[in-house]
Amino acid sequence: MQEEVLLPKHEAGSQRGAGQWAVAWRRFKRNRSGLAGLAMVGFFAVLAIYGLFLDPVPARSFACLYQGCSNLPPFTNWAHPLGTETSGIDVWQEIIHGSAGDLYVGIGATAIAIALGVLVGAVAGYRGGVAGALLLGVTQIFFTLPVLIFILLFARIGTLLVAQGLGLTLIVAILGLFGWSGIAFIVRGEIFRIRELEYVQASKSLGASQSRILFRHIVPNALSPIIVVSSLLVAGNILTEVVISFLGFSDPSASTWGLILEEGLQYVRTSWWVSFFPGLAIIFCVLGFNLLGDGLSDALNPRLRE
Amino acid sequence: MAGLLSYLLRRILFAIPVFITVSIITFLATNASGNPVELVLLGIHNRTPETLAALNAEFHMGEPIYTRYFLWLSDFMHGNLGQSLYSGTVASKILPWTATTLELQIPALLLSFGIGVPLGVFSAKRQYSKSDVAVTTTAIFGISMPTFWLGIMAIIIFSLNLHWLPSFGAISAFPPYWWGSIPSDALAHLILPLSVLTLVSLATYVRLIRANMLDALRQDYVLGARASGLSDFNVTYKHALKNAITPVVTIVGLSFGSLLAGAPALETTFSWPGLGYEFVVAATSLDLPVVQAITMIITIMVLVANIGLDLVYALLDPRVRIS
Repeated sequence: MQEEVLLPKHEAGSQRGAGQWAVAWRRFKRNRSGLAGLAMVGFFAVLAIYGLFLDPVPARSFACLYQGCSNLPPFTNWAHPLGTETSGIDVWQEIIHGSAGDLYVGIGATAIAIALGVLVGAVAGYRGGVAGALLLGVTQIFFTLPVLIFILLFARIGTLLVAQGLGLTLIVAILGLFGWSGIAFIVRGEIFRIRELEYVQASKSLGASQSRILFRHIVPNALSPIIVVSSLLVAGNILTEVVISFLGFSDPSASTWGLILEEGLQYVRTSWWVSFFPGLAIIFCVLGFNLLGDGLSDALNPRLRE
Repeated sequence: MAGLLSYLLRRILFAIPVFITVSIITFLATNASGNPVELVLLGIHNRTPETLAALNAEFHMGEPIYTRYFLWLSDFMHGNLGQSLYSGTVASKILPWTATTLELQIPALLLSFGIGVPLGVFSAKRQYSKSDVAVTTTAIFGISMPTFWLGIMAIIIFSLNLHWLPSFGAISAFPPYWWGSIPSDALAHLILPLSVLTLVSLATYVRLIRANMLDALRQDYVLGARASGLSDFNVTYKHALKNAITPVVTIVGLSFGSLLAGAPALETTFSWPGLGYEFVVAATSLDLPVVQAITMIITIMVLVANIGLDLVYALLDPRVRIS
């Protein structure tokens, strides 16, 4: 009797059944603000897909200029629920098309930043010596730079010279190239922690190569903080994209929320709705990613695990 | 003391590679076309041989690119920031622009830190209470909001509808002045952008302080301090907060660059003639000497602020001084 309590074989088996992701999901499901964040992100993802593939109204359509429905206030005409700009652009349609643009920039730039950050952080953490110190120095430099100024500078020069047809992809690349330093720091710290653990020593003694140990054994175990930071980084990248478009440093033909806000500031005296509603869309999308990040952080943090 | 000095010296030495990297990136970005004069000409409509010759001299054309870099850097270090393509020398303007930016940034930093710290402590002490939920909810909305959007909304409400405050500029160019005199006029112009900037940076500080305080309040030394009969105020502010605030100072120091990052958009919203607004104007009109100068000045400000905050950090955390 006593032995069975001490060695609960079936329970050990069922714990292996519930892997770390299942446990994390079970914990996440109980977090109401995290679920709300997931719902907001999901809502904008649906909006983006609808805008890309199903929406009959094209992006930046000036049709209202000829049909006499420009500069409509919101909630007066159900064909244009959130009103229209003086130029005839429909605010609700631009929110739909803008969500595709902003999610592309937010997620795409984060993907580049993660790839760079994991690579630099992993090598800097796993390799000591000159290479490690050099990479750490580069990371610190990128962390200290007044990044937005450079992003704006490169966006301006880039749109002008190299990438007139690239549109938002140029912004994705610039945001990614300047946004990886935080992730590199986190990965480096995690690797310092993990590389001393026994299973890494074990695989080393089995003769695994350095890159196999690093990318097969260490990096996957450093995933949870990377996941949490990525969600917060998407939020930050969307806010930066909004600033870039608002200041007119992005592709003026691509639909983004920042571009509508820029037009909203132009018409601020006559049409408050042009800047008000896109702003709400930005807040709820960014809030969604922030809540999702906080929820994931609680769910994946082993210190809080029951 | 020797530990503190060598620590500071190391931090100052770290600023040098950052400065050099920034100067190289800035120089390369503005020379991306291979010929900055051509780039500038894109923005000028009446091109005469004289402007071309002046531009060629300005950018040291005819020299190889690395010589041009060193000539430019040496000009910069000697305080010769070049000639704005549209008006006057850059050096004569950069100081008033910097002053205007700091007039907004420093009060916002002090206010948001001064309000954010007690608010974060308050929230952490009453975790999950109604007031804590109210504070954290407002704060997460605050960090999810483009600063300049809040600025546009403030302009719509307080300037255009209520007519209480001016909507653009740092001062009125000519009378009538707001509230009667020139100083009160400057104050009236400051209130909206300052409140918006404070509210948004406040949200970041409240969240950081609250998270660190929650951690600190659960530590054994806090229990020990309580058990030894210290007052609640003493335990919270002298023992727990002192440890909770050090990581916040680090983060503020390291992210000072991104704190200034809000400046271009917010200053543009309020037409606030600081470095951020002038950077946007210059980059849009391809006034490259101005763009280069502002990038370098902002970097220097960030580095100086970092070293200052490192000093604060070393004073707060004795471990830094020893190791």
